[in-house]
Amino acid sequence: MSEPVSKLESALRAGTFVFTGEIGPPKGTHIEPVIHEAVASLKGRCAAVNVTDIQTAVMRASSVAGCKLLLDAGVEPVLQMVCRDRNRLALQSDLLGAHILGIRNVLALTGDHTTLGDHPQSMPVYDLDSVGLLEAIVRLESGTDMGRDMKGNPNQLDGSPRFFKGCCVTPCAEVVDPQIIKLEKKVAAGAQFVQTQAVYDPAAFEAFMRNVESLKVPVLVGIVMLKSAAMAKYMNRSVPGVVVPEWIITRLTEASKEDRQKVSIEICGQLIRQMKSCCQGAHLMTLGWDHCVPEIIAAAEA
Amino acid sequence: MIVAERKPMDEIVAMLAPHRKVLVLGCGGCVTVCLTGGEKQAELLAGQLRLAARQAGRTLEAAFDCITRQCEREFFDNLTEDPRTYDAVLSIACGAGVQYMSELYPEVPILPGMNTTFLASNVAGGVWEEYCRGCGDCVLAWTGGICPITQCSKSLINGTCGGTNNGKCEVNPEMECGWLRIYERLKALGQLDNYRTLRAARDHRKDRGGGVRRLVLKDMAESQESGNE
Amino acid sequence: MDELTSGELKRLGDSRMLMQREWSPCRYHCPVHADVRSYIELAARGRWREAIDVIRERLPFASVCGRVCHHPCEANCRRAGVDEAVAIREVKRFVSEQQGASGATVRRVVQDKAPVAIVGAGPAGMAAALDLALLGYRPTVFEKFAVAGGIPATAIPPYRLPRDVLQQDIDWICAHGVTVVTGVEIGKDKTLADLKSEGFAAIVIATGLALSRTLPIPGANHERVYPVLDFLTAVCSDRAPRIGSDVVVIGGGNVAMDAARTAVRLGATRVRAMCLEAEDEMPAWDWERSEAAEEGVGFIHRRGPTDIVIRDGRIVAVAARKVTRVFDADHRFDPRYDDADVVSVECDTVIMAIGQTADMGFLAGSPLAKDTRGRLTYDSATHQTSDPSIFACGEIVTAPGSVVEACASGQRAAKGVDLFLSGKPIRLADALPPVIGEMAPDTAAKVSKSPRNAVLQRAADERRRDSLPIDANFTADAAMHEAQRCMGCGGGAEVLIDKCAACLTCLRVCPFDIPVVTDVARIESSLCQACGMCIVECPANAIVSRSWDTREEIGNTAARLAGAGAGPKVVAYINGYHAPAAAWGASAEDALPGVLEVWLPSVSRLGVAEMLRAIENGADGIVVVAGYLGGDRYPTVRERMARRVEQLRAMLGEIGMNPERIQLVHCADEGRDAMRRAIVEATGKIAAC
Repeated sequence: MSEPVSKLESALRAGTFVFTGEIGPPKGTHIEPVIHEAVASLKGRCAAVNVTDIQTAVMRASSVAGCKLLLDAGVEPVLQMVCRDRNRLALQSDLLGAHILGIRNVLALTGDHTTLGDHPQSMPVYDLDSVGLLEAIVRLESGTDMGRDMKGNPNQLDGSPRFFKGCCVTPCAEVVDPQIIKLEKKVAAGAQFVQTQAVYDPAAFEAFMRNVESLKVPVLVGIVMLKSAAMAKYMNRSVPGVVVPEWIITRLTEASKEDRQKVSIEICGQLIRQMKSCCQGAHLMTLGWDHCVPEIIAAAEA
Repeated sequence: MIVAERKPMDEIVAMLAPHRKVLVLGCGGCVTVCLTGGEKQAELLAGQLRLAARQAGRTLEAAFDCITRQCEREFFDNLTEDPRTYDAVLSIACGAGVQYMSELYPEVPILPGMNTTFLASNVAGGVWEEYCRGCGDCVLAWTGGICPITQCSKSLINGTCGGTNNGKCEVNPEMECGWLRIYERLKALGQLDNYRTLRAARDHRKDRGGGVRRLVLKDMAESQESGNE
Repeated sequence: MDELTSGELKRLGDSRMLMQREWSPCRYHCPVHADVRSYIELAARGRWREAIDVIRERLPFASVCGRVCHHPCEANCRRAGVDEAVAIREVKRFVSEQQGASGATVRRVVQDKAPVAIVGAGPAGMAAALDLALLGYRPTVFEKFAVAGGIPATAIPPYRLPRDVLQQDIDWICAHGVTVVTGVEIGKDKTLADLKSEGFAAIVIATGLALSRTLPIPGANHERVYPVLDFLTAVCSDRAPRIGSDVVVIGGGNVAMDAARTAVRLGATRVRAMCLEAEDEMPAWDWERSEAAEEGVGFIHRRGPTDIVIRDGRIVAVAARKVTRVFDADHRFDPRYDDADVVSVECDTVIMAIGQTADMGFLAGSPLAKDTRGRLTYDSATHQTSDPSIFACGEIVTAPGSVVEACASGQRAAKGVDLFLSGKPIRLADALPPVIGEMAPDTAAKVSKSPRNAVLQRAADERRRDSLPIDANFTADAAMHEAQRCMGCGGGAEVLIDKCAACLTCLRVCPFDIPVVTDVARIESSLCQACGMCIVECPANAIVSRSWDTREEIGNTAARLAGAGAGPKVVAYINGYHAPAAAWGASAEDALPGVLEVWLPSVSRLGVAEMLRAIENGADGIVVVAGYLGGDRYPTVRERMARRVEQLRAMLGEIGMNPERIQLVHCADEGRDAMRRAIVEATGKIAAC
């Protein structure tokens, strides 16, 4: 087995239960508060921090820029990369650039459709899909790109990158089998770790994990903080493959306004406690409440 | 078949503003079948345009005609009206017809009355749905006869994304997830291995990436020069 | 049936010519091939004047046939497959008598061709004379009786055919330049040779069957044994013969029925018809027999008279033997008797109605050839006798038949005369267009039912006391409603195959599931109900109507809008299917100010293009007066009409016109007042635009 390329890879190889966090670059250039928050709340607690890539197709500053600033602040980033906005030329180019900047973790994603975001008129690209993107990364790692020279041979790179490559899955989709097959394809294409879509149903997750055991890839269960009952209901309504059970909604509803954050943290902790035995880590998506991460981790380890 | 929808009236009226004598030309092909661009629609549109002009206090002579197909030279011989005697022709054929006619009548402005939308099949009386995107590289053999390029809003080729929600696509809750349909169909056919197989990135030269696409049948093709005579 | 193209349609010039491509059975089976479907259609819209012209175009004896025709049109009416045949004869009767002789158009042509003599002013002779006049000849008809008309004048009893009704036809025919000379019997007062020497270039013999056959049995020459024509002619000439109180009519045909029923009216207390045939073998029409029975005529079937028993100079009985069979195995008339079974039928008067024969008196002094059986030699292909300038037509050369059959024969002979006098070989084209086939039962099942309108028949007790007609004419409403029952067979949709895009729209909108689309749409004419739904909806304008076309109405509407002057103008398209006759004509005198009423048999054929055109032609708005659910003769019209109105409203909205200019109301079946109220209300909404 080759040397790990990132601290995240090392941590997962070590077999400890790993936490990852997530930040979103701003719509604008004012990125300092986001970085500051990440350093304050996530540094030292999360093995790595994802930087989202024009999440939900709402235009924001680039993921690469956020990753670079995290690196500079001593936080290991995970570069999220979606297929929606760039063709294979741009994707490969940005991967090389990311590597040049020192970024070593990549999460390959399909990306929400343009029509869901704030530029619904834009052209959805999807030149590659997530499987194709993982294959492209592996190809770059092997010293060639997706193109061919005049003789029909693969183009050689002058220096090749190495990444710890991740992918996503929706473990609690209504029909999970096609998700699992797609995950198998992603792993076959080169995915080395998995961060899941939000999970609120430990039993379903456990069943999912048994199904993907044979893939032998570390899975970090996705934990999205529910800030209110309204948000929980919204997720049930609108987020594909996410089911927030009634007990969580009840607890959020019953909590007083000042207690709500505490309750939310407790819920995250409880979910992680219930699922940590069957997975290798948790990916915490606090949606701006990064300051809660220490308490969530504490609750998860209680 | 090709589906085209009539352009918004304001756009048509603006397009025709500089002209006083206009021929609305229907096409007897696909657009007749999808009830948007045949002789009847040409007749109605001509009437509507005359009325619109009158409303705006100006006069517009608008006649209508229709030929079998606007994408074949020979059918233009059957025109009852001579386009050259008009200030402009409003073609309500698909974009192919409009452009083709522009080549045949370089001296006459040929204006598009339609927005050409998609390749369709008829799903119910008066309802057409996109079934093919003319990608030039058909994958239906391994997708259970359901086209992921058309039926998946992201044209993914390796399976469903995370945006499938209760069997529907994230783009439109009315639209079924194409890949879920493919999965169900392959499962029913006992061909799930087709789903499991990794599909390489597509070659978009066969699609819109390669410029104007042509079909030249060696055994039938006339030389372009003589064909233009 | 050849497929139709737009080129062929252009060649035909008028889409109504399409009606010639295939005939409806009513027209096909009519001996003169009257355009039944067309005149019924006109009658259905209250266009009586146009209707009578269509009738008289082929049938000079329109009024007579309205009363006495054996109506093969009705016998072949395809509506019978749905409920009952359309009462075509009764509609014709209403139309012709309502119009009278002066109501129908007289088509005078310049008569500069040769004079032609016609012998006999019966239906065949008068029909021949009329056609000759129309061809430019100068016909003179010689009639031995004092009145023109032949059998209808001299032998059809007035309760079946009032004299003034007959006179309408005679007057109308004569108005075309036909001269009738009555009281001149050829062979007696003049000879055929005289006619020739008077300058008649050709002669048409149409003397009919003027003599009654009699039986050579003992007692047959008794004064109270009347040959049937003598009896009926006397009655028709108001010289009613003396009869006793107990009458036996010998014969089972229609003339026998006339005689028996006339005897009833003359006061006989017992009238019986004796015939060889059993009830179901009788040659008389069923209705003649049943009406006679209602009036008290008794029947003695399967008896053949052998002897008229006379005692003390008076008839006391008819002796008659049993008939063991009437027809042989091939259904040829060949009676057999059982002489051992003889009965005596009491009576004091006998009328012999066993058939008619020709009076050959016109031949006196003429060399015209006769055949071995004494009949006039005649070539049925040319109507010529042994003298090529002398023609024959009507019952003297055909089998005994009805008025309409005699007319057909006369018309054919007139063509022969014309060809002869033009120096052309006489070739009479008898080929007809194909007749449309039967309607499949599952199609018939989809047609909405509508019972036949009955004519009011007087009670038998009452009618046997006088010679007035036994039944009443239709009222205008009933005539119109009856005409509306016509399914317009063969007047439906025809596909222009060069324009058809095989889009399946016709198939989808047809309420009767008739169109079949393969390479192009095919609409089987024998199944098409002529609703016109597909014509309106076809995106290629590839379907045309063989019969009435809404586009004709557009032309009328445009002219009316142009002529309406200043002020508000609203066009009301009215579904007239349920409207009474008065309403159709009402728009002229009863019109709301500023409202042009356009009456349509059904709004099924009213399309967006037509309505848009009305707006373009200056209408401020449109009110569509549709029927209730099920209130139209065709299924789905209401729904389609609602969609068309919505489409038009959207189209107006697109160009900045108020969609409220188009109003749809559903009250066409609620009567004129409700309709007027609805139109006023809708017009108010339009005025507010």
